Amino acid sequence: MPDLLDSPDSGRGDRPLTAGLDLSFHETINPNHSLTVAAPTAAPLLLCQRVSKWYGPVIGVNQVTLELRSGITGLVGANGAGKSTLLRLITGHLRPDLGCIQVRGWDAWSTEARQHVGYCPETDAFYEEMSGRQFVESMARLCGYSRREARKRTEAVLERVGMAGRAERRLRGYSKGMRQRIKLAQALLHDPELLVLDEPLSGIDPVGRWEFIRLFRDLAALGKCLLISSHELEELEKLTDHIAIMAHGRIAAVGTVAQIRDRLDNHPLLIRIDVRGHSHAEHGNEREARRLAAALLKLRDVVGVELLDSPPDESVDPVLVRARNPQRFFQELTHLVLEEWYEIARLETLDDSTQAVLGYLLRGCSA
Amino acid sequence: MGESRNQAATPELLHYRPWRGAFRPPIASVWPIARVALMSLFRKWMFWVIYVLGLLIFLLFFFGQYLLSWAQTQAGETEVQLGGWGRTNPRQLIQLFRGLLKLDGGPQTYHNFFSYQGYIVMIVLALAGSILIGNDLRFGSLPFYLSKPLSRWHYLLGKGLAVAVFINLMTTVPALLLYAQWGLLESWDYFYERFDLLLGILGYGAVLTVTLTLLLLATATWLRRTVPLIMTWTTLFFFFRLLASALVDGLRFSPRWRLIDLWNSTSLIGRTCLGVPPRPMAFANQPPWHEAALILGGVSLLCLIYLIRRIQAVEIVR
Repeated sequence: MPDLLDSPDSGRGDRPLTAGLDLSFHETINPNHSLTVAAPTAAPLLLCQRVSKWYGPVIGVNQVTLELRSGITGLVGANGAGKSTLLRLITGHLRPDLGCIQVRGWDAWSTEARQHVGYCPETDAFYEEMSGRQFVESMARLCGYSRREARKRTEAVLERVGMAGRAERRLRGYSKGMRQRIKLAQALLHDPELLVLDEPLSGIDPVGRWEFIRLFRDLAALGKCLLISSHELEELEKLTDHIAIMAHGRIAAVGTVAQIRDRLDNHPLLIRIDVRGHSHAEHGNEREARRLAAALLKLRDVVGVELLDSPPDESVDPVLVRARNPQRFFQELTHLVLEEWYEIARLETLDDSTQAVLGYLLRGCSA
Repeated sequence: MGESRNQAATPELLHYRPWRGAFRPPIASVWPIARVALMSLFRKWMFWVIYVLGLLIFLLFFFGQYLLSWAQTQAGETEVQLGGWGRTNPRQLIQLFRGLLKLDGGPQTYHNFFSYQGYIVMIVLALAGSILIGNDLRFGSLPFYLSKPLSRWHYLLGKGLAVAVFINLMTTVPALLLYAQWGLLESWDYFYERFDLLLGILGYGAVLTVTLTLLLLATATWLRRTVPLIMTWTTLFFFFRLLASALVDGLRFSPRWRLIDLWNSTSLIGRTCLGVPPRPMAFANQPPWHEAALILGGVSLLCLIYLIRRIQAVEIVR
């Protein structure tokens, strides 16, 4: 299996290096790669190397290798896939049984590493008698700030998450969304480089979600690295197209959704092409669609073509194509369209969303 | 994503300046943890009933000492008639009261005070164990602490400090106030002549603090819920006391059987610290104090070993 780390076009423009695609569950990082703990600034922000974690006889995380430097990465997977365990390992709540996790070159278990990490856990078990402001300020003191600085930081983050005006109320009276904001506020207190967020959008109203998404984008633009575990795939797609998919304790794939989709050879990409025929010909659309279908079948990456019924109120004929190697297919399709002069009304990929990719991968993993 | 990139290119800056100072070491987070724990203790109105009871005990000793001291200064040399029992000097009568009530600034005064306050402390700790630490483990508040730059040891130290502060606020600090009061009421020489009492108070307080703190942290980490915690503490400090009494006083077993009564052991060490003279009849059935110290030390060590193992166990995060 080719490795995205080796491929020249693997990285996004704003992401120097990401972990590799690993559909066949073999390792992507050189195990002999040496780390310089003495010079933490030169180290990647987050480096997980062959990390495994057992809960008795059950394996929670299995040989996970992951490297993050900046930007937003979505962590997705089914329940029990090992996402929360991985997040706890990264934030130093759990210690790996095998492998190592380093944050800026420091062992994730160490207090030095935690100065670089902000964690927003999924649970919201607060001290219900405290006000939101008191809770966040208490957390600020734990970060190592003086009382005065802690107060300043508290006000700043409360304002940032939109809770400045409501922070005097007791936590027991907070809605789910307000609790999420307070959790995020305490994670932002020490201006961490790595933000680990476990289901941060859960229970937040649409306006709040938009505010959070904007905040996450702002943080990413400021050079922060965000690792977001979420089941809200639509919201996650708005945030980033870079995801890590977990299944059965392993990182099944890391990369952009398109990169991962491209590698799913067992699941040819579904593409709908709406063809518009020449207006002067009778049944021009249908004839053009058939002509295109015949031409498409000659392309080496096309594994199937299907002619669909035309929509009643549109003068187009849709063609459904199944193609492997999407990148090469689209290049050849472009040549074909230009040479034969087809009039394409619409071109749409039907199964390259995060949801679809996740579905294919998880079905593949469970098979 | 193109749209998002454009939006991300002009970020709305966070409203705080970059931190240029040095972070305080993790040990500095121990007090904030203790503070939060103490606040959660003092916020429970139900506990205030018990605190008021503790305050009443202190006030009883405080004003008892004050009133008897004041009465002694008011009493003349003239003898007074006590009904049909004869005549007596009021000063001698007050002195007798002081001796009987043990409100004479002696070691027994402080030992009694510690004993009474000790019951109050036990009740509060049994009820508050789950609030202090059990709920953090049970409901998942621990990740908030452990995601900050501090270790599990700092977390436990913070919680332990909260328990220690509470115990000392209820016992050692008021005992020291009583000591100071007596010195001011009677004579400054008291501070010099009975300096051993000051050390005894601090020693007794330290024994209670170390033993009860470790025991509470261990049992609360283990049991987490309030009801099992109360049942365990009741067994340790009430039923074992009854059992020890039945075995030694009823069935005439060896006085060493009293060592299963941890409260009796702390009391024995407290007596030794304060230099309370032994009462022949009652003390004959007691084990030697050093055996009690050995038992308390062993229990504390076991609690510490359990906490070390528990801290190392990854399942600490639920």
